[in-house]
Amino acid sequence: MARRRVGSRLVLYVLVLGITLWLIGPFVWLFVTSISYQRNLLARPLSFIPPEVTFDNYRMVLGLVRFHAEGQASKILPAMLNSLIVGGLVTVLNLVVGTTAGYAYARYRFPLKTFSLFALLFTRMLPTVVLIPAFFLMLRAMGLQNTLSGLIVAYCSFTMPFTVWIMKAYFETVPSELDKSALVDGCNRLQAYYKVVLPVSGPGLVAAGAFTFMLCWNEFIVAQVLNTKPGTTTLPPVIAGMNGQINIDYSVIAASGFLGALPAVLLVLFFQKYMVQGLTAGSIKG
Amino acid sequence: MEGALPVAKGARTGRVAIRLSEGWFALLLVLPALLCIFVVVLFPLAYSLWLSFTDVNLLRTTGPAVELFGVRVPLFRFVGIQNYARIFDDPLYWSSLWRTLYFVGAFVLEATLMGLGMALVLNERFAGRPLMRSLLLIPWSLSRVVVGLLWVGILDFEFGALNGLLHNLGLVERSIAFFKDGFTALNVLVSVYMWNQAPFATLLFLAGMQSVPEELYSAAEVDGAGYWQRFRYVTLPALRPIIFLVLVLATVNGFLMLDLIYVLTMGGPANDTTTISWLGFQTAFAFFKFGPGTAILYTLTALCLLVTIVYQRLILARFEPEA
Repeated sequence: MARRRVGSRLVLYVLVLGITLWLIGPFVWLFVTSISYQRNLLARPLSFIPPEVTFDNYRMVLGLVRFHAEGQASKILPAMLNSLIVGGLVTVLNLVVGTTAGYAYARYRFPLKTFSLFALLFTRMLPTVVLIPAFFLMLRAMGLQNTLSGLIVAYCSFTMPFTVWIMKAYFETVPSELDKSALVDGCNRLQAYYKVVLPVSGPGLVAAGAFTFMLCWNEFIVAQVLNTKPGTTTLPPVIAGMNGQINIDYSVIAASGFLGALPAVLLVLFFQKYMVQGLTAGSIKG
Repeated sequence: MEGALPVAKGARTGRVAIRLSEGWFALLLVLPALLCIFVVVLFPLAYSLWLSFTDVNLLRTTGPAVELFGVRVPLFRFVGIQNYARIFDDPLYWSSLWRTLYFVGAFVLEATLMGLGMALVLNERFAGRPLMRSLLLIPWSLSRVVVGLLWVGILDFEFGALNGLLHNLGLVERSIAFFKDGFTALNVLVSVYMWNQAPFATLLFLAGMQSVPEELYSAAEVDGAGYWQRFRYVTLPALRPIIFLVLVLATVNGFLMLDLIYVLTMGGPANDTTTISWLGFQTAFAFFKFGPGTAILYTLTALCLLVTIVYQRLILARFEPEA
């Protein structure tokens, strides 16, 4: 019996090791390549521990040294700023508008409730790409093509349904006695919401906010199509543009990719507890 | 529970307050979100549908248009089902459709099995389990552009780490070209996308496994059930709604996958990784044929909606009847 225990522990740890390698190996390798020279990546046999470590790739990406593809590399920092602005504003918009709606769905009965909930569920399953031709023509008609405002509008299409849903699921876990006692204590319904319920809803807000920001930070196709003018786009299209240029070493592209991935990864790891709770509750509940 | 808040009775003295009925108050709270969804989702959706029946000429600014809040949205010339007839006539559309179905099938299978497998392992007790759950979030939180170029670093013919490893181990004489053969490239896409998406399925499965009462397992163990029997008769039935959910999410995500194709294969070699979403995207935005492009993308939407209806039927109807 004891021997079988030891055996199954061994199998378990082998599996755990395998999964760990599978999950983070590729990401770690991205970092390793970003601090390597291209010639060492081409060497065979390949050394998995970099024989030389360099930060030249990051210097090129950040525009600290001149090199032959500095035109493309110089777009990275402005694009990062654009990503930050778009992601930040969409998140704020989502939290203000979507949270309020989520609260109403969790607490009240009202006309069209079932219908609009179904519409939300439906929009969550919709391919965003089918909306892009419409966005393209609408934003052009409004003069918002190649602007961050246009992207912000477009990004609400795939973030807002999620925010409402996550917040609805979260508010359903907040006991409604809380609102009731606030009403008894003389708050009106609106005050019960923003003075009593909202202050204890931090975890839900963090989950929805971090998820929204992550989606915007990572979004590629919409930004690629709508904002084609140099300097108006976000980070993913610029990184994809680096990847598409033959004359840029992979190690440099890896540096730009790692730099671009880091904010989202850190955000998710930092808020993981809330995000996992919020997302699984939001998904499993429908 | 829901909607059970008491309506405050009688106006309090000394305060003039506008009293809305409960329903109207709630409607007011959801109104901004619904308005937003209407403007950024439902209207564009309807407009795209209209575009799929027109002859869109991006250079022409005159012609029929609809005025909305002072914005003149062009309507273009209605051509009936001409765009749809054209795309259904194109053999590339049909080959892309079959490829899409293969891609979706393979992806759903891989993502579900891998997601479930990882969840089973991570649900066991071992040292460092909390850390493992954090690591799970890394592939999932990466932009698909980064996911793509990260796997280029591993699979590339010249500098790829996998080719390096195989070479070091003496398993290959020459590097393997993972993106040269069309079918191989398609399967590589499936696996790379699975790497990115399976962790989320694992999170859902783990959440489901934690909701299974511990007593069920101990009872099964007392009855002499082994590991696989406990999995088969306790875990699996409890996970059924989540398995449905994972299957549906994976199906829809599989249909929509676009960004990885852009970064890794551009639909090639020779259209061998061209799926419906890529074909529609290319038609609309590389060749600027908005009419046929939106028509292709709309057939994709129809497929997704079909899945959603199945989702609605199977999950909402069965497990949450009051929603």
